[in-house]
Amino acid sequence: MKGAMELGAAAAVVKGGMNRGLAIFDFILRLVAIVATLASAIAMGTTDETLPFFTQFIQFRAEYEDFPTFTFFVVANSVVCVYLVLSLALSIFHIIRSHAHISRIILIFFDTAMLGLLTAAASAAAAIVYLAHKGNTRANWFAICQQFNSFCQRISGSLIGSFGGILILILLIFLSAVALSRR
Amino acid sequence: MDQPRSSDEATVEIPESKSGRSKAATIAATTKAARYASGGGGWKRGVGIFDFILRLCAIVAALAATTTMGTTNQTLPFFTQFFQFQANYDDLPAFTFFVIANAIASGYLVLSLPFSIVGIVRPHAVGIRLLLLILDTVMVAVTTAAASAAAAIVYLAHNGNSNTNWLAICQQFNDFCQRVSGAVVASFIAALIFMFLVVLSAVALRR
Repeated sequence: MKGAMELGAAAAVVKGGMNRGLAIFDFILRLVAIVATLASAIAMGTTDETLPFFTQFIQFRAEYEDFPTFTFFVVANSVVCVYLVLSLALSIFHIIRSHAHISRIILIFFDTAMLGLLTAAASAAAAIVYLAHKGNTRANWFAICQQFNSFCQRISGSLIGSFGGILILILLIFLSAVALSRR
Repeated sequence: MDQPRSSDEATVEIPESKSGRSKAATIAATTKAARYASGGGGWKRGVGIFDFILRLCAIVAALAATTTMGTTNQTLPFFTQFFQFQANYDDLPAFTFFVIANAIASGYLVLSLPFSIVGIVRPHAVGIRLLLLILDTVMVAVTTAAASAAAAIVYLAHNGNSNTNWLAICQQFNDFCQRVSGAVVASFIAALIFMFLVVLSAVALRR
């Protein structure tokens, strides 16, 4: 019986080590997601292209504020970035105490909410970027990318960091769930 | 995992031990474990039933979104010599993606119903709940992506954009715009239900 108890204690130590490894991986993933969403917000927020010609009435200029969808994109990425920085504290707490259940459930709840927000912002911006590249003949919407080349490249590139952040958030939710299911 | 829990009393084979203290400790640990196991099954079963009901609601929402968007077809009563004024969901790629993604979400929900029933029947099945959680998370992303891409196009159709000279087409295609807006709302409701399902699975996962 003493041998069985020792084996049980050894298994518990291995499981605790695995949980700690999961928590450290969770922390590293959060850092990567912070960089990705911050880069996206900055790349979209600093768009400003002015074409070298202008008529008497309007100047040909494009920036992210001209599209309400892109404004929502910048705001949502900033919100998710700030949330991830704040959740680093909870992640460090989970590295120290592997048996915290309620705080992991709270973390999963907020991670899911932020996943919804980030996906909404990224895919709405993607729809507008696609429209800017291709236009739409049926609705008579002209493809503006043929003139505003640098603006279009900037907004297309800023989507990459955001979609990377979405993938990382899905992975984070999965990691928290696996850590919850192991005792 | 498959311990028979129907009987409260279980025959425990206690080896011949010199100290009576270890014998009493073993009996106390066994009864405590039996009580904890049967008590934990009660609320988990309730969570499983709530999960099943939510899935049924999400099926209704996703199917409504798919069919409403898929059957849009408005033809204006006037036409010029060159083309007829017609609006269809095919004309906008974002709407095509919307229909496909919501169809995938409905199909996934129908296929996940048996897994949800297994979660009700066996309240302590961890693997099933983990699988449902990860697939539900992916579906949250897919449904939200489809709904918000369509919402961006609908917003543009309602308001237009003066900077890029994009006209608001809703002033002409009124019925088309109403149908499409309704479909987007149904899809957002389905996405919300998916988020609830993820948190519910997480709550039911803890030991």
